[in-house]
Amino acid sequence: MSSAIVARSPGPCAWLTLIRCEAKMVVRDTAGLVVPIGLPLLILVMNAAAAGEQVVVNGRTALDVHVLPLVFTVVPATIGVVNMPSFVAYYRRAGILRRLSVTPASPVMVLIAQAVVSLIQTLIGIGAAFAVALLVFDANLPVRPAAAIGAALLATAAMYATGMIVAATAPTPNAAVAIGLVAFFALGALGGLFGGREALPEPLAVLGERLPFGATVECVQAAWAGSAIDPVHLVSLAATIVLGGVISAVFFRWD
Amino acid sequence: MERLTSGTGGRPAGLPTVVPMEDESAAVVARNLGKRYGGTVAVDDVSLRVETGEILGILGANGAGKTTTVEMIAGLRRPDRGHVRVLGLDPRRERAKVRQVLGIQLQQASLHHALTVRELIEMFAAFYPDPRPAGELLEFVGLTSQRATRFEKLSGGQQQRLSIALALIGRPRVAILDELTTGLDPRARRQVWAMIERLRDEEVTVILVSHAMEEVERLCHRVALLDGGRLTALDTPAGLVARAGAGNLDEAFVALSGKEPEEPA
Repeated sequence: MSSAIVARSPGPCAWLTLIRCEAKMVVRDTAGLVVPIGLPLLILVMNAAAAGEQVVVNGRTALDVHVLPLVFTVVPATIGVVNMPSFVAYYRRAGILRRLSVTPASPVMVLIAQAVVSLIQTLIGIGAAFAVALLVFDANLPVRPAAAIGAALLATAAMYATGMIVAATAPTPNAAVAIGLVAFFALGALGGLFGGREALPEPLAVLGERLPFGATVECVQAAWAGSAIDPVHLVSLAATIVLGGVISAVFFRWD
Repeated sequence: MERLTSGTGGRPAGLPTVVPMEDESAAVVARNLGKRYGGTVAVDDVSLRVETGEILGILGANGAGKTTTVEMIAGLRRPDRGHVRVLGLDPRRERAKVRQVLGIQLQQASLHHALTVRELIEMFAAFYPDPRPAGELLEFVGLTSQRATRFEKLSGGQQQRLSIALALIGRPRVAILDELTTGLDPRARRQVWAMIERLRDEEVTVILVSHAMEEVERLCHRVALLDGGRLTALDTPAGLVARAGAGNLDEAFVALSGKEPEEPA
């Protein structure tokens, strides 16, 4: 009787369907969409004029090397640290991960689909801010484009990893939003979101530079200015990915 | 209750479990299942055998071990003792195969709140090689006119019917339905019962966890009565009534378990 039963893993069609469904969930969560797209644009518009057109280094202006890195860092940080964990915590709380575990699909699939949609959302958020910066405020391209793209990818992975710690430890969806927001603002404040880190006490400034937000800003800044990326920032981001992966793997609950 | 002795009890550890040939014809075999949560015994030495095409009701008060029993059968929980076979397969070690043929409606499992009925059906259909067509399924559970409605906007009864539809979408040969009609109004309850009767006609094997005597009496070939984690009776509804010397299944439940049957929440 059992010989006729074949274990089939869901194929590409199932993946596409899941990604489409996650995309609909994200798009229909209007409030969650406003921050990652709107906040970076707001920061850009408010700082672009003041940053002026004075060249700072390598033909790049203050807008290029001080404002844009911050704007680009905010996008994956809000999506990865606040939005994604709240979806994951909700899926767990609602029993959706458990429900999927009794189908041929694995609940891991829904997490990966959510990560894919978050990545698309990150690209849209960065793309929108970059387009406005280029077209309206005459921003310049990075001196080292490949380094900028690499830094952005590494930073996105680090933000996801941070978010997965939030998702793994938050008991409820509300807690996930609260922890995510606190984490985002803490990382942001130490990483230069509310003004330069120079204003912070020395130990906090050093800490902020090594946390994912500050490290991302530093990497993107270096790519734009054409200077060498300080290895300490790459190590910080890589360590965040490893640490986040390990912590979430240990503490993550499916129901 | 007579204790089955051919289980894994005396077997040296490490040897593969051999299911006796007599079990090959049964859709579900659970033998000497036991489960503790901390110091509390949730399920104590429960053995069940469900024939192909049979509808078995599992009846009992809250905390009687009904959900734990079906979750062990479904492979969601690991039994401390005993073993389970679904269509001859181990639901934990042969999980991927069992997931193809076992449809499960979990107690209190919600779905993506912002997706519509049709979108949820499309999602779950994508997991199976030969899903029931969406139109047929919607008609089957009476949700055709709600297909564009988001899950969060459905009534409790409609959510429940969608949940059952999704349990049946992959054409399962065995279906486990936990708390089928709890919280439904009488009309919705009857709609769900009509669905189960159609499953019975399709020879799908069903394990039905229930609080409701009328439901069990109407739908089930046999009833397993759980009390304090133990199987106290396993018989046809009429057999239970006769055994207890009772006038109906309600009275039989009280006589055999010493508890009042609960009203559905």
